[in-house]
Amino acid sequence: MTRKPPYFILYSIMLRELTELFRYRDLLIQLVIRDLRVRYKNSILGFFWSLVNPLLQVATITIIVKYVMRLGIPNYSAYLLVAFLPWTFFQMALMDASQSVLMHHDLLKKVYFPREVLPLSTVIANLIHFLLSICVFFAYLLILGTPITIGWLMLPVLILIEFLLVCGIALFISCLNVFYEDIKYIVSVLLNIFFYLTPIMYLSEMVHKGLTAIGYEKWFILYQLNPLNAIIIAFRKLLLPPYKVPPERTIAEQFKNMPDMAFDWRFLAIAAGVSLIIAILGYAFFNSRKWIFAEQT
Amino acid sequence: MKKSIELINVRKAFRLVHDRASSLKALALAFRKPKAEIIWALDGVDLTVEYGETLAIIGRNGSGKSTLLGLIGNIYRPTEGRVIVNGRAAALLELGAGFHPDLTGLENIYLNGAILGIRTKQMREKVDEIVRFAELERFIDAPLRTYSKGMVMRLGFAIAVQVDPDILLIDEVLAVGDEAFQEKCYKKIEEFQHAGKTIVFVSHDLDAVRRVSSRAVWLDDGKIKADGDVNNVVNSYAEGITSG
Repeated sequence: MTRKPPYFILYSIMLRELTELFRYRDLLIQLVIRDLRVRYKNSILGFFWSLVNPLLQVATITIIVKYVMRLGIPNYSAYLLVAFLPWTFFQMALMDASQSVLMHHDLLKKVYFPREVLPLSTVIANLIHFLLSICVFFAYLLILGTPITIGWLMLPVLILIEFLLVCGIALFISCLNVFYEDIKYIVSVLLNIFFYLTPIMYLSEMVHKGLTAIGYEKWFILYQLNPLNAIIIAFRKLLLPPYKVPPERTIAEQFKNMPDMAFDWRFLAIAAGVSLIIAILGYAFFNSRKWIFAEQT
Repeated sequence: MKKSIELINVRKAFRLVHDRASSLKALALAFRKPKAEIIWALDGVDLTVEYGETLAIIGRNGSGKSTLLGLIGNIYRPTEGRVIVNGRAAALLELGAGFHPDLTGLENIYLNGAILGIRTKQMREKVDEIVRFAELERFIDAPLRTYSKGMVMRLGFAIAVQVDPDILLIDEVLAVGDEAFQEKCYKKIEEFQHAGKTIVFVSHDLDAVRRVSSRAVWLDDGKIKADGDVNNVVNSYAEGITSG
């Protein structure tokens, strides 16, 4: 008998875990339903509360950027929303997931089930919110009269890539948070920082121009290697037409004559690969520790 | 012949950490490793349970009863030795695990059923029976937080007995509810026995132990002190307690 290489063993272990997870798919579904039900059980507006928060933030940022910073991009709110909605999914899913295992610690001590359903169900519940908000965004574009681009066909792929990335990180942090409760604070601090590091309020072109101006043009490649950046850039480039800035409308000198850069598919492909690797590593990490959760006091 | 449950020289250690570094700051500030005491909750247990047997486990608090149940129920993994369980084991450890107070009784039935590993499709067929067994017809659409403790317990038990496992693990659940409900529970356990299921039963209630099981195991300090006919084991255990 020939010795199997270690990666094959890893693969078969993961396959076994996934089979067991599939056996418990109804639990995953029931937990998602519970999350969605409980969140809005006693509110009249229900789901719309989860829209109110991003919409109000987008309205505020739009007013500031348009009338205070006067960047002068027509339909700026659409360019903001298209990045803000996937960001909200990223943020909310990770915040919820970081607590998910610890919150059910009593349950873990009593009942056997694949532990990964806990973080995964919070991610999926937030994914459903995200999908609904995308529908609202679509309606908003129709009202604005923005042309719907062919790139919308890529939307499922973009969502899948982001879902994989979020799942991977969620598995890591939900597991670590069982042992070190600082993780949830670290996660919330990092999310606050990444909100500014990610091209949400501003355009990736501005980053490029800014880096070029100080002679660090190469760093823009590094910037796009961050899968979150690449995903957010892809959302904007594929779901919205290229923007045009009339030079006379912007007061910020360095952003005059800043053309929309062509979408670079390579970075989306890299983001897809990196997200998949993070998801696999996250799952392996979670699995290696999930049976000691119940022993943690 | 294959046995229902087989434990071969099982040892289970828990790390009892005094002053555990539960935050990174504490971890960074601790110059020494946190003091961890290894507690052997089970220390060399050999146990075989035949198909269709009802086994009671008795012993003082902290003697390892719940750990043993947790090992059979696949909640813990043994530190040493092997645990072989043939068939699906389901725990009736604490009723209503995972119940959510803001969901209705009906919504909780589906959720709790899924936690216990029952397919939603099967739950749909059983939901009427569960509601009837729990005697909650009038309240099933009300949120669980409006239920009394007894009602929650009844609902939990009604769902748990639907699991239909090959091996049923029961941890002190018969102590809940009024006498009429307890009678119902005993009946259900008898049904399981007639159906040839294996039952492992942990209780402090020696009368309940005598009534339900034919064989008992006395656990003391993580080791089996006596194993055999229920009356003999229970008697020597009772003597052991009174004589100190």
